[in-house]
Amino acid sequence: MAKLLVVFRREYLERVRSKWFVLGTLLGPVFFILVAGAPRLIGGRGDGTRDVAHIEVIDATGAGLGARVVASLRERFPLSRAPYLTVVDESASAAAQDHAVLRVQRDEILGYLALGPATLAGDSVRYEGRNANAHNDVDAIRLAVRSQVLALRMEREGIDARKVAEFQRFPLELHTQRIGDKGREKANQLSAIFLGYAVALLLYMMIVIYGQAIMRSVLEEKTTRVAEVVVSSVNTDILLAGKILGVGLVAITQVLSWVVLSVLAMTYASPYLFGDQGRAAAVASAAGTVGAANSPGLGLLALGIPPIPLWAAVALFCCFVMGFIFYASLFAAVGAMVNSQEDVQQAATPVMLLLVSSVIFMGPIMANPGSTMARTMSMLPTSAPIIMPLRITLVPVPWFEVVGALSGVAAACAAAIWISGRVYRVGLLMYGKKPSLAELARWIKHAR
Amino acid sequence: MANLVARGQYGQVPRCARRCLHERSDRYISHLMSDLAIDIRNVVKRYDEHVAVSDLSLAVPQGSVYGLLGPNGAGKTTTIRMILNIIIPDSGSITLLGSPHRANGITDRIGYLPEERGLYKKMQVRRVLRFLAELKGVKRREADRRIDEWLHRLDLKNGEKDWGLAKVDELSRGMQQKVQFIGTLVHDPDLVILDEPFSGLDPINAQALKDAIVELKSRGKTVIFSTHLMDNAERLCDSVCIIARGRKVLDGGVAEVRGAHGGRMIALAVDGDGRRLVAPVLGDRRLISRVDDNNRYYEIELAPGADAQEVLRRVVATGAAIQRFELVLPSLHQIFLERVGARGIEPGMTDG
Repeated sequence: MAKLLVVFRREYLERVRSKWFVLGTLLGPVFFILVAGAPRLIGGRGDGTRDVAHIEVIDATGAGLGARVVASLRERFPLSRAPYLTVVDESASAAAQDHAVLRVQRDEILGYLALGPATLAGDSVRYEGRNANAHNDVDAIRLAVRSQVLALRMEREGIDARKVAEFQRFPLELHTQRIGDKGREKANQLSAIFLGYAVALLLYMMIVIYGQAIMRSVLEEKTTRVAEVVVSSVNTDILLAGKILGVGLVAITQVLSWVVLSVLAMTYASPYLFGDQGRAAAVASAAGTVGAANSPGLGLLALGIPPIPLWAAVALFCCFVMGFIFYASLFAAVGAMVNSQEDVQQAATPVMLLLVSSVIFMGPIMANPGSTMARTMSMLPTSAPIIMPLRITLVPVPWFEVVGALSGVAAACAAAIWISGRVYRVGLLMYGKKPSLAELARWIKHAR
Repeated sequence: MANLVARGQYGQVPRCARRCLHERSDRYISHLMSDLAIDIRNVVKRYDEHVAVSDLSLAVPQGSVYGLLGPNGAGKTTTIRMILNIIIPDSGSITLLGSPHRANGITDRIGYLPEERGLYKKMQVRRVLRFLAELKGVKRREADRRIDEWLHRLDLKNGEKDWGLAKVDELSRGMQQKVQFIGTLVHDPDLVILDEPFSGLDPINAQALKDAIVELKSRGKTVIFSTHLMDNAERLCDSVCIIARGRKVLDGGVAEVRGAHGGRMIALAVDGDGRRLVAPVLGDRRLISRVDDNNRYYEIELAPGADAQEVLRRVVATGAAIQRFELVLPSLHQIFLERVGARGIEPGMTDG
């Protein structure tokens, strides 16, 4: 046990001390935040459909509705270029619209909004433009017109204009709740998908990065011939165990640091990072219309990660630990099999294929987490460590499936440890050519 | 004592010597069992197609310097690895310092320098050494103290520079070898096993290593090392074992081994023209079984039943001017060649 601790401590400390680990730990959250915020940052640059209020408002109502709509649009879309207002007689409306079409064609404006008597009556309003098919844009414009028609009517009934504006200043967020066969499902489907995706991807990343770190570490001990000195002091099983546990804890340390740093960064640095985007979201949501919820990345981060039940968190952790041990032992065996950096990637291909096979199905599984494929993949020991957490975060998974998957992975772990322990023992001091499959079988059979 | 006997009487000892040797090693086993640092009995190790070590028995007395000699591929490293419990023999038993070699904690009393040396390249020297010491059960603080002492002693730490703080790959090759050597001895082992310790050492480091081995012995430690450099073994070892193709060829005290093979070797030197004149005599297989031309003199091994005086008469009769004619104790090198023969030899083996 004392020797296990010595090996474990070396593996852990040497890695945690390295500047690459420190750099990765610090830059990880920055990367995540950028990825999460990227769509918003790119989308919010003020071109394309984001420039939603850059339209011509043709007002043929004769009641000043156009001016109100323009003011409302400017308030709602502070980042968009301002709308133009053209007030015309009803008879001149058609000509004005024809002219607006030309302007759209020349890309001077995005579209035009034609307000007429029918609008005032609450019947219809016409919008034509490049983004006429974009649901969100059209909806936002419709909402702006609607609220102004309402305001106009209220004022006609003698309600104070300022009061009307005040009445309208409420956010009214829409909280949705999906109901499935078993009753209510996850509160926020979007963030559940995000979480599931993030967790599965993180598990995959950690297993690939740190599993390969173990492989390279074994290979390094082999090629530098340290292995022989070390195994003359400690038996190979303890060496292997210490290595896997040490590197595994490094992975856990890294993930935890990322989570903590990301939360800190989101709390304190988000206004600086996102600048006017953050403010825009705040303004928009204060205006009581399309608010922060329309910007998935930012909205999610603001909402935070949806709470998952404790048992699911425990299952998730077990998935990671056992999945890591499973793949780490296989990677260690690969490292012990070969003698050079050139050979190792090739020899690791089968293990990598096992890993990748679980990731390539992530898309379909996320789209349909209840499908037979999703269930099978979440039970298969080789893919369960990644797919089961994904399913757990997406849909309620019956406990017996989770327990079944975990026991399967545990059994696979035991087998992997047994096999790789033997390959490791023989391979660590075996130099020369890469073993054939038959030789490998002999190693496993005869190792003592 | 054995030294004196052999030195004085090389002419008379031969016939009984080999039997004596066997009797002596039997005595080792029966009387000195508890005094053996290594006691290997009938060990066999087979690999897929070949037998690496075949029925090998060895007895290494405590406090001695023991040489394991043999050509490359003779099974030296396999034997050492079995002693260290890195590989497990198919049959036979190994006892180390009075306990079975797989007993708990026994490896903590052994220091091992493998043939192929290596350290964690990216690790700080001091941390590597601490790791190696802790693996042998040395407490951290004690390890630090000893590491300091060793670094000073081998001049890796002085007023100007503390190499202990550098990373291993910042050190020169020579310095890395020193660090490796510290790693072997930092836990003050009772039994030190060195696999080909002299290979790749420059003369200065080789001298330092010899000094270190002698010093270990003077402190009562047992040192066993493998080598194919016979000169080193002859100078350093109390006892040797020669193995070839996985089998023991002979073992025993160096003086005894040499004595046992004495009386059959002649050193002959003749001046320039004489070399041509003596050639027919040296070629006579009835008299002489083997000649090793060392340029300045010949080392001649008498054929079985041949008489040295007869050789001398024949050489004189050729008229060659004799500068030297001497019955000599064979060197380990000669014995090795005689016993192992050319078949056991691989390139590079005789460069000592």
